Amino acid sequence: MTAQTAPRRRRRVRPQSVINYALALVVAFAYLFPLLFVLNTSLKSDQDFFRNPVGLVTSPQFGNFVEAWNRGHFGALIGNSVLYTLAAAGLGTLVSLMIGFPVSRGYFKHSRAWYGLFVVLLFLPNAIITQFQLLLRIGLYNSQLGYILIMAAAVGVGPILIAAYARSIPIELDEAAAVDGAGYWRYLFTFVVPLARPALATVFILQAIGIWNDIILATVLLPDRQKAPISLGLYAFQGTYNNEWGLLAAATLIVAAPLVVAFLALQRYLIGGIVGSVKG
Amino acid sequence: MNYFPFSRRTPLRLTFWFGIAVIGVFGLIPAIAVFVISFTNIRGLPGLPVDWVGFENYVRWFSPAKVGYNLNALRNTIVYSVTVTLISNVLGIAIAVLLNQKLRGRNAFRAIVFLPTVLGVTVIGLIWTLFFNPGGGPAATVWSWFGAKSAFFGDPHLALALVIFVQIWMGLGVNVVIYLAGLQAIPEDLYEAAAIDGATGWQRFRNVTVPLLAPSVTANVLLSIVGTLQSYQLAYVLTGPSNLATQLLSLALFSQAFGGNAASGLGNTQGYAATISVIQFVIVGIASSLVLIYLRRREAKL
Repeated sequence: MTAQTAPRRRRRVRPQSVINYALALVVAFAYLFPLLFVLNTSLKSDQDFFRNPVGLVTSPQFGNFVEAWNRGHFGALIGNSVLYTLAAAGLGTLVSLMIGFPVSRGYFKHSRAWYGLFVVLLFLPNAIITQFQLLLRIGLYNSQLGYILIMAAAVGVGPILIAAYARSIPIELDEAAAVDGAGYWRYLFTFVVPLARPALATVFILQAIGIWNDIILATVLLPDRQKAPISLGLYAFQGTYNNEWGLLAAATLIVAAPLVVAFLALQRYLIGGIVGSVKG
Repeated sequence: MNYFPFSRRTPLRLTFWFGIAVIGVFGLIPAIAVFVISFTNIRGLPGLPVDWVGFENYVRWFSPAKVGYNLNALRNTIVYSVTVTLISNVLGIAIAVLLNQKLRGRNAFRAIVFLPTVLGVTVIGLIWTLFFNPGGGPAATVWSWFGAKSAFFGDPHLALALVIFVQIWMGLGVNVVIYLAGLQAIPEDLYEAAAIDGATGWQRFRNVTVPLLAPSVTANVLLSIVGTLQSYQLAYVLTGPSNLATQLLSLALFSQAFGGNAASGLGNTQGYAATISVIQFVIVGIASSLVLIYLRRREAKL
């Protein structure tokens, strides 16, 4: 083994790994530099910015953050987004489980047709107009519940991933649980859910990213500013203060900071979730 | 009756049909209704009469007054989709191969590339608006070194290219992560065997990595195409809903149906706007099936 790997390692030694590190640093720079520029701008006063927009900050103005926070009501907006994301992605994941599992097991007639429907769900046309019309007609226009239901229904690959994962759970387990007297619900929620946790996490994360990033459906379905998610709130803030760059930069960082922190804490699961979806 | 080991079927039926109902009522039926309303003159205001108008909306789509606007949106969408798909997949493979080397801190690099996915479209929009601020920012500074000035997102010749650039920057992380997963599934001993046979780095990439990465390529390209043909969030945030230079089909749909903002758009002709959605749907269907067939064939050949 060592005899085989040794020549490779020797060949790859210095120059190649130096190039690799250099390239990786270039990539990292392309991603971090815009963020650092925003950080730099966020600490500048307006005069400071107009004098030299790209110069390093000399006297940091933390007041920008206080002002952005007070004017933007970002706390409430982030709260809205967290509510929509958790509720809609949670419901969507539950729905994917409720339909994906029995179809994978063949507990209903025509499971192939149902599976075909799951695939069709991936290629639906943009239905923003009819979703708007629907909510308008059933009295859920401008309602948080209506928005959550619309976002939850966009399950995407969810049912397919759950159905694929369910095949790794032996059907004998269903039978054993049934023999022991467990009902279907008890089996689904206390046996299948823990076993399918990786697939459920993937489904939840994929849907959550979509909901967190939505701005257009929220614009159409939630005209009330109080109900806006952070994506929409920050966009409106940009429209209002479009020349106060220090303030805008501070607002951007206020919204970005909790995301970066949450991402660093959860990145293993997040990235693992994406990978899981492709393998499935 | 299909096989079912549990004693009572009612719970099974309840949860299954509940799930189907949620998806059906709020996703599937509205999607099907798009086709139906494209043959009506439905408006954004409730209470107005709705009549069947046959193919009138489609005829209007191709009418001299509208066809320029619509073909412009179509052209932009195709340019956007093709360039984003090509560049982000080539870069995605390159960066994934790079990060698959024995590199200290490669998880940190991977996390950095993935970060924009989490930041969300508005934060990214603001970051790049600041970056490409014509009044002074890093981009304006670089331009000034060459004695040039630009309005960036305000310049109709440059705006689409910049939106494409930001879209690639934003979406690359997902591509990289999927390619990395594909690379890690390639058994190490294939590389060792190739090395023993005296294959160079490029030959190993060409003859081991590329064929075995083919399924990831299919998944990634398909995701990119379907995603970009339907995307509009970023163009909306960076250049607004009715900028012709960056008008994408979905954005045209949005501004025709809702007039750019919901409050003023309640009287808009949504039946007409629905035709855009139908036409877009057909394009997505054709493009993704062609690409899928092509890539599957290649996979089989490699």
